[in-house]
Amino acid sequence: MFLNSVVLILQEILEAALLISVLLVFTRLRSIRPFWAIAAIASGAIGAYFFAHHMASISEWFDYVGQEVMNAFIQLAILFILAIFSAKYLGNTHSPHSSQMNRGFIVCTLLLVALSLTREGSEVFIYVGGALGDPSHVQPTLMGSVIGAGIGISVGVLIYYGLLGLPTKRISTSGLLLLSLIGGNMASQATLLLTQADWLPYSRILWDTSSWLPENSILGRLLYAIIGYEATPSLFQVFSYATGILLIFLCAQFSFRKQPPMLIKQTSTTTPQ
Amino acid sequence: MQNIVNRVAVLIVGMGFVFFGHYAVAGTPVIELTIKDHLFFPATIEIPANTKIKLLVINLDPTAEEFESYELNREKVILGNRKGVIFIGPLPPGEYPFFGEFYPKTAQGKVVVTDQ
Amino acid sequence: MKSIRIFLIASILATLTLFNFIAALQGYKSSLHEAEKLFDRQLLQTAKLIANLHVDKTTNNLNQLSELAYQVWHNDQLLAASNNAQVETITEHHPGFGYANFDGYRWRTLAYFDPSNNNWIIAAERTDLRYILAEDVITKAVVPIVLGIPFVGLLIWLIISRGLKPLKDLSVRLKNKQVNDLTPIETPELKDELKQVTQSINVLIRRLGSALEREKRFTSDAAHELRTPISALKVQLHNLKGDLPAGNESFIQLQSGVERMQHLIEQLLSLYRSTPDEFSSHFTPVNLYQLAQDIIAEQHLVFEAKDQTLALEGSNNVIDGDPLTLSTLLQNLLSNANKYTPNGGSILVSVSGSKDQVCLKVEDSGPGIVSSDYNKVFERFQRLNNKPEVTVTQGCGLGLTIVKHIANLHHADISIAPSSFPSGAAFTLQFNKIPGQDAKHS
Repeated sequence: MFLNSVVLILQEILEAALLISVLLVFTRLRSIRPFWAIAAIASGAIGAYFFAHHMASISEWFDYVGQEVMNAFIQLAILFILAIFSAKYLGNTHSPHSSQMNRGFIVCTLLLVALSLTREGSEVFIYVGGALGDPSHVQPTLMGSVIGAGIGISVGVLIYYGLLGLPTKRISTSGLLLLSLIGGNMASQATLLLTQADWLPYSRILWDTSSWLPENSILGRLLYAIIGYEATPSLFQVFSYATGILLIFLCAQFSFRKQPPMLIKQTSTTTPQ
Repeated sequence: MQNIVNRVAVLIVGMGFVFFGHYAVAGTPVIELTIKDHLFFPATIEIPANTKIKLLVINLDPTAEEFESYELNREKVILGNRKGVIFIGPLPPGEYPFFGEFYPKTAQGKVVVTDQ
Repeated sequence: MKSIRIFLIASILATLTLFNFIAALQGYKSSLHEAEKLFDRQLLQTAKLIANLHVDKTTNNLNQLSELAYQVWHNDQLLAASNNAQVETITEHHPGFGYANFDGYRWRTLAYFDPSNNNWIIAAERTDLRYILAEDVITKAVVPIVLGIPFVGLLIWLIISRGLKPLKDLSVRLKNKQVNDLTPIETPELKDELKQVTQSINVLIRRLGSALEREKRFTSDAAHELRTPISALKVQLHNLKGDLPAGNESFIQLQSGVERMQHLIEQLLSLYRSTPDEFSSHFTPVNLYQLAQDIIAEQHLVFEAKDQTLALEGSNNVIDGDPLTLSTLLQNLLSNANKYTPNGGSILVSVSGSKDQVCLKVEDSGPGIVSSDYNKVFERFQRLNNKPEVTVTQGCGLGLTIVKHIANLHHADISIAPSSFPSGAAFTLQFNKIPGQDAKHS
């Protein structure tokens, strides 16, 4: 139960921690107070509780593949919001921000974290809820959960400070890289789930790296959580992964290329005679 | 730039129209897999090669279990006293282990794909 | 990284937790692996034991086992079995360990060939039970690592707070330092890292102090050195006056030049004499209204000469200040107004008090000042030469600089605005009232 809890909790926490720390870095770049994170985590936890609570009936939708469809839907929603986020708020961190723009930023980040926590947290709720039902499982499950959560959160904190430690110019591009990997991961996982639900057709396996880096190793698990590593990806998965990354990159062009018009006006103020 | 984004969007939506919507359901063979006392019954499932299979997983335990297989690329939570459907294949011949992620010490099994 | 302390605590704790927990995990895995090897050895011993027991003598006691199962096969014939083992074989008859599901459990199985009897012994042990035992033991070893993290966090917090204390002390010391306090910073026990910073700051302070000292010395030297020749010049001028016919144009020019020079020197001296450190210590209560009255009485001839109306409004208002420099301030403001206001113009001085401030205002009906020049007028030797009146006025361009300087010494705000006359400028000074002393209206 112990190892199991570690692996399960770690995987779910790590995905969320990566997203939250990257978004917190952008919050810092815009000098916005990071209170949204508390609201996002709280609403994500509530969302996860309800999602877990109704998982039984959700699973029976669409001829017993409701779970896959719902999860894929949430992942595509995350990808969609990530695309909007990168188009509007990713590159232009130093241009003057209106309060309206900051509001949009907060709404985006809040939605992203809440949605991602809803999906990942529900699995934690289901697992821990079941494991705690057996008294002999309580201690190993709790210990395992603490260790898994500890590792996940620590990685998040280190990513946060690691990103902030970069030269300011490179923070945005590194953040974009991480967010695009998350985007690719979302697209690929959604594709996989829809294939599992038979909503997408089977496609052949492109390669097999399981002998190099097995998916069930700790590193494999970490890489799965962070960049969506898959030892035996199918053609559609690879395609959707690439599409997800490309989508985020293309959308980010809008925010990276856009010249802040207010800044130009400010520099050309008339000097008194 | 706008153009490319538009094209990608059209491509994605187009793919959705082609692939979504119910693919073949009627002809898919169904295999039942039961979970009881954190064990899979049967622990070994034999299926023919290059055939899509509808795996009906029935959880008789009160606790949830997660069907997981790295080799099959499948992952699904089956809640206690509930059932779920997982589509697998078509697969080339070989052995594809699966396990219950919530109770992996006991819940172990494999799909054996045989050439016929 | 807004706070060094939060950054240090969070990143150190994260690093520590990460590696501690991964180490615990690795320890758990290898311990479990060892435990499994141990359990497997035991299973092998059990299998050998069963092989050595005579099959017929298998006791009922052994049959009652629930955690163990066994079968003894001879040429595909089941000779003996525990009652929880099925009729069919648990596992294939290949020597070695494996796993099998039966009797509602998952079992660790061992097939062992006993060469002496040509028997296959299959022994099996329930995995859930053996894992519970092993896990229980190993998890207990992990508990202290997990429970230790909060204490480690607390310790790190204390250590870092302690480590950053000299830095905090230094910043508090710097923050509390008075503007005119030029003594070097002293820290009782200086850490190596801060030594350089403190040394650099102290060098800067020393250089600043000696620069100020030099400036002061120069001022007093200059005062002495410059006054003497000017006095001599004035004596010579007086002598010359008797030798020359009255109304000699060159003489008048020379006389006004010398007077300007004397004025300039006096102004320069008063500007430098009043540096903040010697100043606020001997503040006394000053009634601005009375002071204005005195100055106006002193100077009214100058205004009469230009046919200007000079009025004083307001009431008695007392502030804390230095009467001598405050009269210089008023004199300069008035002479400025006098200079820039054309003949027949008006000048209004008003003193008013609010709850905690006293406002001194000098307004004139001169040409006024363009708002973009408001800051310029206080600069040294600045004279706004775009005014035609300037050409006929004498001045060294230091008056308003001195006004600003004196205002600063009294922590007063000075501002310029259009005057209440149709044209002209208004200089407003806002002094802070002495706490507790109310304005007495007369």
